[in-house]
Amino acid sequence: MPDSVEDANPRRADRALTAAPTDGVRDEAITPASITLALPRAVDAARPADIPAGRADQAAKQVALRFDRVSKWYGPVIGLNQVTLELRSGITGLVGHNGAGKSTLLRLAAGQIRPDLGAVHIAGRHAWTAAAKRHLGYCPEHDTFYEDWSGRRFLEGMAQLCGYSRAQARERTDNTLQLVGMRDRADRPLAGYSKGMRQRIKLAQALLHDPELLLLDEPLSGIDPIGRRESIALFRELAERGKCLLISSHELEELEKLTDHVAIMAAGRIAAVGTLPQIRAVLDGHPLTIRIACDQNQRLAGALWQLDHIVAIERDHDSLLVRSRNPHGFFQKVTELAITLPLEIHHLETLDERAHDVLDYLLGGRRG
Amino acid sequence: MSSESLVDSAPSPWRAWTNLVLLSLRRQARAHWLVWVSVGLLALSAFIVHINTSRGRWTMGHFRSPRRSGITFEQRLVQVKLAGQVPWSPEARGVHFATTAAWATVTHITSALPRFSNWIVFFLFATFLLPLWTLSFATEALGREREAQTLIWTLVRPIPRPAIYLAKYLALLPWCLAFNLGGLFLLCWLGGEPGRTAFTLYWPAALWGTLAFAALFHLMGASLRRAGIVALLYAFFLETVAGNLPGNFKRLSISFYMRCLMFEHGQDYGIGPERPWIYLPVSDTTAWLVLAGATAALLVAGMVVFSRSEYLDVR
Repeated sequence: MPDSVEDANPRRADRALTAAPTDGVRDEAITPASITLALPRAVDAARPADIPAGRADQAAKQVALRFDRVSKWYGPVIGLNQVTLELRSGITGLVGHNGAGKSTLLRLAAGQIRPDLGAVHIAGRHAWTAAAKRHLGYCPEHDTFYEDWSGRRFLEGMAQLCGYSRAQARERTDNTLQLVGMRDRADRPLAGYSKGMRQRIKLAQALLHDPELLLLDEPLSGIDPIGRRESIALFRELAERGKCLLISSHELEELEKLTDHVAIMAAGRIAAVGTLPQIRAVLDGHPLTIRIACDQNQRLAGALWQLDHIVAIERDHDSLLVRSRNPHGFFQKVTELAITLPLEIHHLETLDERAHDVLDYLLGGRRG
Repeated sequence: MSSESLVDSAPSPWRAWTNLVLLSLRRQARAHWLVWVSVGLLALSAFIVHINTSRGRWTMGHFRSPRRSGITFEQRLVQVKLAGQVPWSPEARGVHFATTAAWATVTHITSALPRFSNWIVFFLFATFLLPLWTLSFATEALGREREAQTLIWTLVRPIPRPAIYLAKYLALLPWCLAFNLGGLFLLCWLGGEPGRTAFTLYWPAALWGTLAFAALFHLMGASLRRAGIVALLYAFFLETVAGNLPGNFKRLSISFYMRCLMFEHGQDYGIGPERPWIYLPVSDTTAWLVLAGATAALLVAGMVVFSRSEYLDVR
């Protein structure tokens, strides 16, 4: 893993933030020293008809959350170490093992703690200020409410704390309850809510004032499969509207369904930011396992074994499992062989490009 | 989930703040153990006052002279009255009449207010009940929300932190004032005539004392994790014990200035510290200035502390 993993160079960050396509890793000139990678943009093609295009585009251009060389200590323990990060619209997953600094990062972003060094800005305003909180929706991991209140009353109260009149608060509460699928169940006392219902109410309170930035800490935890699907659909829709979502989750499989763009944290630092394939691509030193099947497996194995970057070749039923330290070189060579030998390739699959594997590698096997 | 667009309307910071005051006021209504302790103490105090009133113990009628072994002042008065049956000369009868009247007045009337004031208002209410009742609400305004992890819902709203602190203070005040002034009123009402006079004399001092104590305990709630316990220790050691010590150390206690205000208001009724040369009271102007100044200073300090504090226990 490179020594310095986050990218503090604003020019490079800008390019990555605005230009890089999510699947264009192999065309990008990414060096191992710059692991801060491309962020996904709002998906313009999937933008709903009722969302004005200009609004979503404008939102996409604005930096919703900026960490500028932020460090945070808890006494002698460092919680966050020189983190630089910019998020615009789209969904970013925040992953890392316990103690990696995820909670510190989220709490700094939510303006609940202040950096000892550096600055955190939400939509250009210092995260600690009330002005920044107008642009922030925060969904904490813990779900303690005013338990004697109903979900509806709680949300109305929260909307009123955002500065809305009673009538406006009622209307916003109604709309938001509809959005999170809780409209018909919101009048019961919160104390009787299931974990999934509490998650929805937590999410609803973050959406009440229609903020640009949403910080969601484990938002899928405790939600049933149908609820997860609905939540994921909602998150995608919000991203399409131009919202910026930073989602911390241990549920990497769910996160992968939601976004392939992640910020991986380790030891108080952002170890990598980008799409999973992008992150994977810069890990040239880490062998990639590829399953390949063709009409001449033995011949292909012999040809591949001549390459320096091939670490191992195993036979697995009708296919080969090849471990390569240079994925780029491997794919180029396979293309050449397919033409020159020639080979009829039936199957080609990279096996460990999933978040778990990347995270395992980055965190030295201590996945959180 | 459907995708309805949310209503478009301009939120108002002022409305957000007033809503916070109202919401906090409602949340403060949730009685917790300290409030129940306060209610219990009020009931106990009311019972004691009622018993004393029904037995006529606010006067000096039951005092004995010599102490413990002698007859009571009431019995002495009866003896004096009986002595009036003797056929004195008109001059002697006049002197006897004046003596009896003075004796009766001191025994039955003028001693009641100072005694009620000393025992119930100065000793029980001002140094013990008022601080305790105030802290039961004031430390909980923020402390309880921190413990219950619900403070986060306020902290992530677009309201400046000093304004949140001030809103919480304003929301706890009605409860503190209602409990303190209501409690004083109840005790005074049960105390009969001297009690009713005492209430008209002392409620302004109780009001100022409540404001200052509430500001102090609210600050403790914002800055300390176990504010309730610390405030209890403070109320007992600094206000109750140190507040009655001779010398200038008691000038650090809020109840000292509150009692000075009470002494000034009761001056016309001969009410004051038992040993003024030891108590060293200050003038009512000084006492009022200190109480008002302390309230303002503690509020500002609390706003600064709250606006700079990172509540790591709030997640």
